Amino acid sequence: MIKKIHNTICDEVGFNTFFKKYSKDLHDFLYYKFGNHLNPKDKVQEAFIKLWENCAKVQPEKAKSYLFTIGNNLMLNEVKHQKVKLKYNEKPQKHHTNENPEFLMEENEYLNKLQTAISNLTEAQRTAFLLNRIEGKKHKEIASLLDISTKAVEKRIYGALKKLREDIKEL
Amino acid sequence: MNTKDLIRKWLDNELSPEEFQAFKKLEDYKELIALDNGLKQFKAKNFNTDMELERLTSTLKKKSKKQTSWLKPLLRVAAILAICFGTYYYTTTLETSLKTLTAQKNTINLPDSSSVTINASSSLTFNKHNWNDNRIVSLKGEGYFKVAKGSKFKVNTSAGIVTVLGTQFNVKQRANYFEVTCYEGSVKVEHNLKSVILKPGNSFLVIDNNYINKTPITRTTPSWIDNESNFTSMPFKTVISEFERQYNVTFNVNTINEEQLFTGSFTHNDIDLALKAITLPLNITYVKTDSTIMLKSE
Repeated sequence: MIKKIHNTICDEVGFNTFFKKYSKDLHDFLYYKFGNHLNPKDKVQEAFIKLWENCAKVQPEKAKSYLFTIGNNLMLNEVKHQKVKLKYNEKPQKHHTNENPEFLMEENEYLNKLQTAISNLTEAQRTAFLLNRIEGKKHKEIASLLDISTKAVEKRIYGALKKLREDIKEL
Repeated sequence: MNTKDLIRKWLDNELSPEEFQAFKKLEDYKELIALDNGLKQFKAKNFNTDMELERLTSTLKKKSKKQTSWLKPLLRVAAILAICFGTYYYTTTLETSLKTLTAQKNTINLPDSSSVTINASSSLTFNKHNWNDNRIVSLKGEGYFKVAKGSKFKVNTSAGIVTVLGTQFNVKQRANYFEVTCYEGSVKVEHNLKSVILKPGNSFLVIDNNYINKTPITRTTPSWIDNESNFTSMPFKTVISEFERQYNVTFNVNTINEEQLFTGSFTHNDIDLALKAITLPLNITYVKTDSTIMLKSE
C-alpha cells in the first residue's frame, strides 16, 4: 500500500503561485466590503504571512477559505461602527466643450447618490454585487471565493440591485 | 424571455447577441446602464500583484532570520539534556547506596528484614527492585550482615563472593585483606577458584594472597560493632590501617617493622588510650602532631 505523501503549501514556489492567484481577489473583496481607509493592502500582506506561518497545519484545498477568513477577521478587528464610504475616482478631464457645466454637475450629483446608496447596502450584498459589476466576476466565481452557493450569490446581487435602484430614485 | 431572466443573464454576462438586443429594448435598460457606468467609478485601486509579492517575500525573509536560527539548536540541546538527565536519574534511583567515611559506622535495613552495619570507609550498594527474589549487595570495605531467612543472599566484593541463606556474618575486604567470619548459620565463601563453607565461629582469611588459619572465635558479633577492634596475631600494618580508618589520622611508621604480628585490641572512643594499646605491647613510642602520628622503636 502506497503511503500518501502529506502535501502542504509550505513550499516557496507553490506558495508564490497561490499568492499570484488569490491576492488581488482578497484585496478587492476586502476593499469592497470594508472600504479603503482600513488598509486592505496591508491586511492582504498580514493574511498571507499568517498563512505561511501556519502552512503546515492548513490543508492545501482549505487554504483559500483559510486565507479569506483570516483576512476578514483581521479587518473586523479594526472596524468600528463606521459607515463605509467608497471613494470614487476623479474622472479624467474631458476637453470637449459640448458638455455643459450642468451636465457635469448632474453627473457628480448622481455619483454622490450612488456612493451613499452603495454604503447603505449590507456588507454581503455590496461585496457580491461589486465583485460582479466592477470586477466582472461570474456568479460561480464569487460563490467559490466567498464559500457560499451560487444561488446565495444571485440572491445578494439581486437584492443589491433592487435596493440601489430604489435608493437612487428616492435620493 | 421575461425581464427578470434577461437581467439575470446580463448580470452574469451570459446574454447571447439576440438576447442582448431584447435587453436593450427593456424600459429598465437606460437606468441599468447608467448605474453600471457609475459603479465603474468605484473600482478598487490598482493592486500590483508582483510588487505585493515582493513585499511579502522580504517580510517573511526578515521574520525567518530572526526566529528559528537559535530556537531549533536550543531545543535539540535541551532534548538531549533531558534524555541524559532522565537516564541518569533512572539508573541511580535503581540502586541504593550506603557509604561511610573515616570514623563512621552506619546501619541500613534492607527491603526484607535483613540489616547491614558497615564499618568506617566502606560502602554498600544494592538494588531495591525485585529484592525478595534477588538479594545481591556489593560491598567495599567491611560490613556485618544479619540476613533474614529467604532466598539466596549474596555479597559481592572485589576479592570474592559470599553467599548465605539466613545468617549473621562479617565480611571484611580491605587492601590485600579478605576475611569472612560466620556468626550464625552457614556461609559459603568463594575466593579465586576456592569455595569454602563456614560454620559459626569459623573464619576465612586471606592476606597478601596467603591463606591464614584462624582459630574459631567465641564472640557472637564482630568487635567493631561495639566500637573496639580486636586482633589475634595480625600483621601490624592491618592494625595501623584500621586505626587510621577509625581516627582520621595518618601514621608515619619510619623503620618500624609492619609485618610483625600483633595481638590485642584498641578502642574507637579514646585515641590516646588506643594509641597506647597498640604501641606499648610492641615497644613502640609515638609522637602525635595534629593528625600525624610518628612511630619510633624504643
